[in-house]
Amino acid sequence: MSVQSRYQTIRRHPVAGPIVRFVAENSAIVALLAMVIIATVLAGSSFLSEANIINILRNDSIIGVISLGMTLIIISGGIDLSVGSALVLVGAGGIWVLNMTHSIPLSLITTVVGGLAMGSVNGTIITRGRVTPFIATLGTMATCRSLALYLLNGGGISANVQQYEIISNGDLFGISYPVIYFVILTALVYVFSQKTPLGRYIYAVGSNEKASHLSAINVNRVKLLTYAISGAMVGVAAIIETSRLNSVSAASSGTGYELDAIAAVIIGGTRMSGGKGSVIGTFFGVLILGILSNMLTLMGVSPFATGTVKGIIIIVSVLVQRKE
Amino acid sequence: MDGLILDMRNMRKSFLGQAALRGVDFSLHAGEIHALIGENGAGKTTLMNILGGVVLPDAGEILVNGRHAFIPTPAASHRLGISFIHQELNLVNDLRVYENFFLGAELRTAIGFVDEQAMCARTAEILGTLDVAIDPREMVGALDASYKQVVEIGRALLANAKILIMDEPTTSLTDHEIRYLFTVMRSLAQSGVSVIFISHKLKEVLTVCDGYTVLRDGSVAGSGRVSPSVSEEDLARLMVGREMAVEHFYEPRPLGGTVLAAEHLSSDRSFRDVSFELRRGEILGFTGLVGDGRTELFECIFGSRRKTGGRLVVEGAPRNLTHPQKALAAGIGLAPKNRKENALIKDFSVRSNATIARLRGFLRGPFIDSRREELRTQEHVKNLNIKVTDINLPITSLSGGNQQKVVLAKWIEAGSRIMILDNPTQGIDVGAKAEIYHIVMRMAREGKSIIILSSEIPEVLKVCDRVAVMYHGELVGILDRDNATEENVMMYATGAKRRADALQQERSHA
Repeated sequence: MSVQSRYQTIRRHPVAGPIVRFVAENSAIVALLAMVIIATVLAGSSFLSEANIINILRNDSIIGVISLGMTLIIISGGIDLSVGSALVLVGAGGIWVLNMTHSIPLSLITTVVGGLAMGSVNGTIITRGRVTPFIATLGTMATCRSLALYLLNGGGISANVQQYEIISNGDLFGISYPVIYFVILTALVYVFSQKTPLGRYIYAVGSNEKASHLSAINVNRVKLLTYAISGAMVGVAAIIETSRLNSVSAASSGTGYELDAIAAVIIGGTRMSGGKGSVIGTFFGVLILGILSNMLTLMGVSPFATGTVKGIIIIVSVLVQRKE
Repeated sequence: MDGLILDMRNMRKSFLGQAALRGVDFSLHAGEIHALIGENGAGKTTLMNILGGVVLPDAGEILVNGRHAFIPTPAASHRLGISFIHQELNLVNDLRVYENFFLGAELRTAIGFVDEQAMCARTAEILGTLDVAIDPREMVGALDASYKQVVEIGRALLANAKILIMDEPTTSLTDHEIRYLFTVMRSLAQSGVSVIFISHKLKEVLTVCDGYTVLRDGSVAGSGRVSPSVSEEDLARLMVGREMAVEHFYEPRPLGGTVLAAEHLSSDRSFRDVSFELRRGEILGFTGLVGDGRTELFECIFGSRRKTGGRLVVEGAPRNLTHPQKALAAGIGLAPKNRKENALIKDFSVRSNATIARLRGFLRGPFIDSRREELRTQEHVKNLNIKVTDINLPITSLSGGNQQKVVLAKWIEAGSRIMILDNPTQGIDVGAKAEIYHIVMRMAREGKSIIILSSEIPEVLKVCDRVAVMYHGELVGILDRDNATEENVMMYATGAKRRADALQQERSHA
């Protein structure tokens, strides 16, 4: 009996209707469509207005860029809690360099390299020190935030180069720059993850670390590079964040970003234990989160209540994926 | 039937048409230590599982203390006073000895708190009957392996066990610890408890047991009392049997020069001072009993385990292989045992599993050329006769035999000239096994050198040119194909040969 029922489970999958399969494999996209429809019905035309859509995208591009790196880390079987704090630290570093040198390119390079360095620190602690990612990045999360608070005396730092603002606040044909960065980076990370050996190794390590090691993959190197890439993404996000207001606050910038990023990744269908997922899913996950808060705002729901809805969506999306 | 505490008569059991027991008689006296021996798959486990209430027999009767017994569940087995001590001990390391004793059945005081005093007293009492000085409040994790065994025994006694089944209890113990465990077993027997001692180690059987039963292919190959006239060779012969059907895979062929030479390789606790040479086109078998260190030896040669001494020469050049990547570069591939955990990327397709070890070979610019990848995978599918409708299906949709062929394809694709196959036919049906042997033979003909690790001696004999036997982390002998009878191999694998040689040497010195 048990043999037979197992046999049926194997058979059932390919036989399942194409619609069912599409829903199962692209739950994020389907959910997004559903939400757009609900939002339009509930909030009326103000939701679908061009200005509102662009507004959603612009607000979410910072979380979005972070989520791209987070996707890779989670696919590799890890997690990074330090992204929000690291963003503040490297963002502040970038502005400090900008103010010292008045060179925007130098500042940008510093910020991205700083993020990459922070990611490498995480990766090194995790691989060389054999500390679980959760603990390692919990530690660096506290450290980065505290360093930023200490160096900025609990306050913030403002850029004294006016053109720096353009990076985040300019637009091209009405599409604001951060949205463009987010879309381009999504495409780049997608191609990287699907088409390069390192990208495939990230999936392999997350799926079966032991087998990857015994297939002659340098697992530690793969992990280290994954955290470094994610760190560089945090650097890019830091640039967008700091240039949007032309300043950064040690206490309040970047708080909760790690949770939003992880939420976007999960809603996007990436498996929490690694080995499966895609940045395309994450892209839609980010949009879902953005539309959600936007919709609630337009409907006049208290901003304090949005967290509840967000939490429910996260749990529901995981439950839906379990059905697979 | 005086003094018989257990009498199993004509036990029969089949699984899916495969007979595991074909009418086995097994009896046990009160206060006896009785050995149950046989090769893997001989039916020992099935017989003991019947006794433990894990499986029901198809036919046969069981008498416990002269009374008919029906054992449908483990609980029923417990009530009859039967306790099973498994190879992997069932203890909680982070709890104290007495807490383990009473786990799930804690004694309580009048007001419902756990009664530590009473439990400790009872634990000390039982340990006292075993003549063991263990503090009941000691953490189990802090105990030596042999003391842990004793704690398990004590727990069985607490449950009023009259029959104790011990499944290879000495595997992870040192010689000293084994001697200690034997003393405990003897004092148990003196107090009237009977022990069924499952072991591969024939010397231990002759040391500690009163009687023995040898199973082979689901039947009793022999049984009797242990006496000085019974030798390890006798038991080994009974285990293996005279007649053996050998399918013909092997073909003699000329061998080339040495491609791999291990010189005095050691790794802390796993193996010591192992030296051997492998020639081009040769198939070299490595066999031995559980815990002989062969898997660790080849993990080390493949670079996934650190060596503490010795030297490895690959194709004439000394190599320090500290990572599988370096082994790959040196032309060594490994198909590990426990395929699912160690070899398969379960979320990947057949294609991605086949190419993962040499993705660099498919690069066009910085990107993987997936068309070339597909073409190459198709070639392997054809050459190795892998049954798969679409190479982009997940690897988990394939049968065990076809999965193993994909693992072989991975290393062929990686250009390995030396292939290490650890337990290559694990969990594979008979037909696919034969195919794997043919593939191995063909690879050898094409000039690859192959090492096969297996605990099943017949498997090793099917294709190997020479058979190396390991015992307790040492390479005790390398037999040519002509001398590698099952009996001979078993003599080496159980350590019997080594002791006989030592004895002879002693005599000739005297």
